[in-house]
Amino acid sequence: MPIELYRIDDRLIHGQVVVGWGQPLDLRFIVLVDDDVAASEWEQELYRLGVPPGIEVHFDTVDTAALSLAGYGKDSRRGILLTKDIETMDRLAARAPTIREINLGGLHYRAGRVQKLRYVFLAADEEQVLRTLAGRGITITAQDVPAARPVPLDDLLGGRSH
Amino acid sequence: MTDTRLGGGAGAAPDAQVAGRPGPAGVGPVPRVPIGTRMSVFTRLFAIQASWNYELLMGTGIGFCVEPVLRLLPGGAHGAAYRDALARESRYFNAHPYLAAVAVGALARAELDGVPGDRIERFRTALCGPLGSVGDRLVWAGWLPVCSLLALAAFGLGAGAAVVLAIFLGAYNAGHLGLRAWGVDAGWRSGLRVAPALSGRLFRVGPGYLARTGAYLSGVALPIALGRVIGPGAERGPIVGVVAATVVGGALLVRMHGRAEGWRIAIVVLAAFVFYATVARHG
Repeated sequence: MPIELYRIDDRLIHGQVVVGWGQPLDLRFIVLVDDDVAASEWEQELYRLGVPPGIEVHFDTVDTAALSLAGYGKDSRRGILLTKDIETMDRLAARAPTIREINLGGLHYRAGRVQKLRYVFLAADEEQVLRTLAGRGITITAQDVPAARPVPLDDLLGGRSH
Repeated sequence: MTDTRLGGGAGAAPDAQVAGRPGPAGVGPVPRVPIGTRMSVFTRLFAIQASWNYELLMGTGIGFCVEPVLRLLPGGAHGAAYRDALARESRYFNAHPYLAAVAVGALARAELDGVPGDRIERFRTALCGPLGSVGDRLVWAGWLPVCSLLALAAFGLGAGAAVVLAIFLGAYNAGHLGLRAWGVDAGWRSGLRVAPALSGRLFRVGPGYLARTGAYLSGVALPIALGRVIGPGAERGPIVGVVAATVVGGALLVRMHGRAEGWRIAIVVLAAFVFYATVARHG
């Protein structure tokens, strides 16, 4: 079964992921793709605390995730893949053509970013990367939880959906 | 190369006295800070969401709470270390407001221990998820409903308004005050090695016990509370209506699972009450 959702969320594993998406999608595994976290046992230990019993967590670098995606796709259970920033998802998508849809779930304020939605703030270079990804035929929408309306990238960058 | 070690600080800040209580394995002795500083941190926890906003969420609240400890950094409240740490601690952060006490304690300790800033930022990011999801399951989905149902059961058993209020407020506040006090202390003792404290028995099995207790209390409290509202020998119409609405509402909630949000449900229930009170009852 292919991974159900490719999500960019700077909080990585949290309530919206394990409960908001986890319950309706019946998620059984999470692939957390981050080069730093994959090399850090204490961070992995913290992220595991937020996962309820019954959901497995895999920690991958971009390199190992690109190699493992085919294997995750053969898993009979449903899964979600998370990156904490656009740059990481961009690097992964460049090596994994099976990624056809990307969900913007949460990119919060930091210096240089402009608010697009209450849970999406983007810098100019991040907008450019998203446009490039869309240009490669990948559908990008912003949606924090399943109950929310998905906002297409054009609306998001055009600022029509605040 | 990513440094995966815990701690790694340059040592406790000189204004704090080291050699307090021993910390968990792998963590240095807990620095002693003045009792006034500790009290200040604890009381500020009650205002941790006062500046909540969509840009930083609880971030400035975390900075506000750890600020008394940051004054102990080299250079005091006018030093570069203080300014850097306060700016770092006031960035975006989100967690359950009660369990955020763990983050406050752990981050204050990390700053005082001189842990490098980039590692503290990664620690902050990694703390958001577990403190949010554990707190949601333990408090919002566990302790709050149990306290509400306990008060409802007291009402059903004939308690007056003052007693019902005292039971709810007493039980609920005891829980959240205890959780905040434990949280800030656990974070302070553990620093970056706080994960074992959060994987303790209370957090592993507590939500399950509370869910079962809540289910049991629902079965006890709702019928007796409803019985008291309707009173003996009353018409059967209202109780049949309530039972039917419960069945239909339950079926709808199951069907809309994952799509129904709390505020939408609240508005529908409120609209139904208004309709019943103004149209159905007098129409």
